[in-house]
Amino acid sequence: MSNTWKNPDMARRIARRNAAERRFKALGLGAIVLSLLFLAVLLFIMLKNGLGGLDWAFLSGSDATDASAAGVWGAAKGSFLTMVVTLVLSFPMGVLAAIYLEEFAPRNRWVDWVEVSINNLAAVPSIIFGLLGLAVFINTLGMARSSPLVGGLTLALMTMPVIVISGRNAIKAVPPSIRTAALGVGASPVQVVFHHVLPLALPGILTGTIIGMARALGETAPLLMIGMRAFVATPASGINDPSSVLPMQIFLWSDEIDRGFVQNTSAAIIVLLVFLLAMNGLAIYLRNKFETRW
Amino acid sequence: MTAAVLLAAFALGAIGWFVARARARLLYAGRESMHSMPVYHAWHLALWVVLPALVVWGLWSVIAPPIVDGVVLASPAGTQIPTDPVQRAAILSEARGIAADPSFIGFYDQSSTIAAPMRAAQARFGLIGTVLMALAALAGGGYAWTRVTGRFPARTRVERAVMLTLLAASLLAILTTLGIIGSLVFEAGLFFRDVSPIAFLTGLHWAPANAVGDDLNANFGAVPLFWGTIFIGAIIAMIVAIPLGLMSAVYLTQYADRRARKVLKPVLEILAGIPTVVYGYFAALTVAPFIRDLAASLGAQNPSTESALAAGLVMGVMIIPFVSSMADDAIAAVPRAMADGSLAMGATKSETIKKVLLPAALPGIVAGVMLAVSRAIGETMIVVMAAGAAARLSLNPLESMTTVTYQIVQLLTGDQEFNSPKTLSAFALGLVLFVVTLILNIIALRVVKRFREAYE
Amino acid sequence: MPEAKLPDSKLTARNVDVFYGDKKAIDDVSIDIGNGVVTAFIGPSGCGKSTFLRTLNRMNDTIAGARVTGQILLDGEDIYDRDMDPVALRARVGMVFQKPNPFPKSIYENVAYGPRIHGLAQAKPEMDAIVEKALTRAGLWNEVKDRLTDAGTALSGGQQQRLCIARAVAVSPEVILMDEPCSALDPIATARIEELIEDLKDRYAIVIVTHSMQQAARVSQRTAFFHLGKMVEYGDTDQIFTNPREERTKDYITGRYG
Ligand SMILES: Nc1ncnc2c1ncn2[C@@H]1O[C@H](COP(=O)(O)OP(=O)(O)OP(=O)(O)O)[C@@H](O)[C@H]1O
Ligand SMILES: [Mg+2]
Repeated sequence: MSNTWKNPDMARRIARRNAAERRFKALGLGAIVLSLLFLAVLLFIMLKNGLGGLDWAFLSGSDATDASAAGVWGAAKGSFLTMVVTLVLSFPMGVLAAIYLEEFAPRNRWVDWVEVSINNLAAVPSIIFGLLGLAVFINTLGMARSSPLVGGLTLALMTMPVIVISGRNAIKAVPPSIRTAALGVGASPVQVVFHHVLPLALPGILTGTIIGMARALGETAPLLMIGMRAFVATPASGINDPSSVLPMQIFLWSDEIDRGFVQNTSAAIIVLLVFLLAMNGLAIYLRNKFETRW
Repeated sequence: MTAAVLLAAFALGAIGWFVARARARLLYAGRESMHSMPVYHAWHLALWVVLPALVVWGLWSVIAPPIVDGVVLASPAGTQIPTDPVQRAAILSEARGIAADPSFIGFYDQSSTIAAPMRAAQARFGLIGTVLMALAALAGGGYAWTRVTGRFPARTRVERAVMLTLLAASLLAILTTLGIIGSLVFEAGLFFRDVSPIAFLTGLHWAPANAVGDDLNANFGAVPLFWGTIFIGAIIAMIVAIPLGLMSAVYLTQYADRRARKVLKPVLEILAGIPTVVYGYFAALTVAPFIRDLAASLGAQNPSTESALAAGLVMGVMIIPFVSSMADDAIAAVPRAMADGSLAMGATKSETIKKVLLPAALPGIVAGVMLAVSRAIGETMIVVMAAGAAARLSLNPLESMTTVTYQIVQLLTGDQEFNSPKTLSAFALGLVLFVVTLILNIIALRVVKRFREAYE
Repeated sequence: MPEAKLPDSKLTARNVDVFYGDKKAIDDVSIDIGNGVVTAFIGPSGCGKSTFLRTLNRMNDTIAGARVTGQILLDGEDIYDRDMDPVALRARVGMVFQKPNPFPKSIYENVAYGPRIHGLAQAKPEMDAIVEKALTRAGLWNEVKDRLTDAGTALSGGQQQRLCIARAVAVSPEVILMDEPCSALDPIATARIEELIEDLKDRYAIVIVTHSMQQAARVSQRTAFFHLGKMVEYGDTDQIFTNPREERTKDYITGRYG
């Protein structure tokens, strides 16, 4: 019987199959290497073009028509103000909604609608949120165009579903035994959630929030819709002043004919990427540090 | 001003909190049994201070402006301004701007003349509002004060308020969805009064710049945009993202050891974290010229710098980690026993992957691809920076091509006249985009859910 | 070590140790597994029965961190030798798992899978014949011959397990390893599988892991008792169950622990 496996035809066939196996594995590694190569080239070109322009004048200046005088501070401040508005609105709302859906929501059609709604909002193209912001905040409510307030509101609507989803997962990961134990010593359901579940879920919620905020920080399209593309030579001093944000500054500079702006664009990209990497790094750190297996 | 008033309301609430707690503690000390802990009485009273104040503030900020306008219009300077409602509204709004910020330069001269009465009226009614708020806060606080008793179920009340807040927060999601649908449908409805939906959805010619007078229907044919969107987002990008994403996932889940996976996966995910504007810039600065030169050296006539290929390629790379992590989840959901069965028959690993694992994971993978397509067609910055403005029905990836999102940006930035068919058409495009991505998302999320349950 | 040399031994293990990382799961096991008989592995949960079974067709290779030392011979050839390809080995030493695990394919394709990857059939009629023969041997042909294109997962649990046996049989293995093949089945389906094992034992060397003493007594001719990673006793099934030499074997069989 074992002859079948000994004859030369079969041996050749097995050799062929093993070669195919090696090719397939190499293909998989190749796919990853290719993707990472693309990333490396992208980063390399941005560093090569931009590092030369990263000096104090660039970091502390605002937009200007002259490439050598233009800086990134105005846009960075706009980004900061916008992010503050986004965080202040989306974090509490997102966490409260997550608590409700995970801990208290009855199972009915209404709640199903809320869930479908949230899952879809997380996947709706960001430019649609821009259209919403334009139609509601600017055209209907008459809020100030180009302002961090409207930008932050728009991005908050976009970020909230992300926070809700990660918040729910974090809350779900808290073992039921902790709830039963707390209920057993006479805590009310609301106390159980706020005293016991929420503190344990917080690292997970924060991780999700940081990731959502990082996404919002890199967002351009919705802010184009609400007019945050104004040429702003002085940094905004409040959330109602016209302002730009970092990604928008990159977009605006990328359109300039003057060669000097290539350096500015790349330098601004480096600044933005540093912030994003820091945020993602923080998220990963938090996740690893507090990752608990019950 | 507003901020100060609101802060004051919260400060009052905070004072109330401490006062109520102190009183409840006194009660607590005197008796053995009390329904609620002092801290709940504190919250109960604080809520009764802040909430009425906020309600009054909200009502007042709706009621007051029309009254202010009326007063201003009745003033000597106010009687001078034109009665045409549109102009009148514009002047009043400018006057509000000047009142808030004297350096503001208005378009109408009259707006500066009524700025002073405007400021005065605003100050007066602002004061009235503040007093009303204070009264409401005191009334609410006074009521709650009388409730600081042993029997009063403060905890139950506070918890009910908490539950209402939680409910309201989760309803915000529905509100956002309704807001999106409402605003898109409303504005698109205005557009479809002028342009027939059939002409819009089936017309082959897109030239909103030429659209004046009666030939609207002929210039708002969106099919070239739909084609460009599909060609770039659903075809070129997916040709890049599906094989690379899938193979990455296969390597990461099936071949890489734990250490390699721990490094490679987050590094791959950096690709997903790079903002699209950076990809767009990279596409325009590096990839597009590279493709153009390559095409030229291969004998193409005058290849354009902006090309569907450049945009699609870069978009595809951006989507790789997304496809990879969806495929990763799908493959991980297939029970190990399935792969073991195949390996135990003498199948090689790659045979097992191709013939057993991937077919078993197919529903999950397909759903992941649908979500990826939904992302790609909604992606904006890459196409804005690299795809071009030409609405063209072409199969040549080297030509410049435009997309739905590109046109939305084009139509809504720069000099826009509000409520012209041109700007409104952006909302119609947005509506189409929203509906298509919504359908893709809903189907994909369903499939994923069913798929997970199947292997539970 | 108790060790019984069989006249017609198919698989021979000598001084086999298996490690998961630093943990030793199998400690110095030597055994001869006979041709044309059913060998049962019994022992308390976690004693290493499955682990040892998997070393016999190198399925442990697929587990990260698993390491095997010692010698295992199939017809005198070392299966851990560099020249031995696990692909061919696993075709010769088939395996049936605890939970039926048909592929998400049709009944026909489930059985044709092995012959197809190994290139055992040149044309469709030949493949049809292989599939029919395998399903017949597994006692499933009459139940499924009219629905070969239905999904394998649409069968009942017992039928699925027989499909998995047919799948293993289709590549004409020399040994069939079964890891608790009936533990997910009801008594009637179990009885059918046991009959099947009885029918198959003349053509193949069969090794079955089971938690049921009755089953081991019913279907096997030889029994090995494992405890804490060691093989405590190995001998004729009758002898093991009626007159065990070792105290621990006796305790286990009489239900003192396990
Ligand atoms: N993949 C693995 N990684 C690490 N340790 C393992 C692995 N598989 C099994 N073990 C350990 O090896 C020992 C033997 O396990 P094995 O599954 O062989 O036992 P078993 O006799 O088949 O038990 P059961 O009757 O419950 O199936 C156990 O202690 C188990 O925890
Ligand atoms: Mg076992």
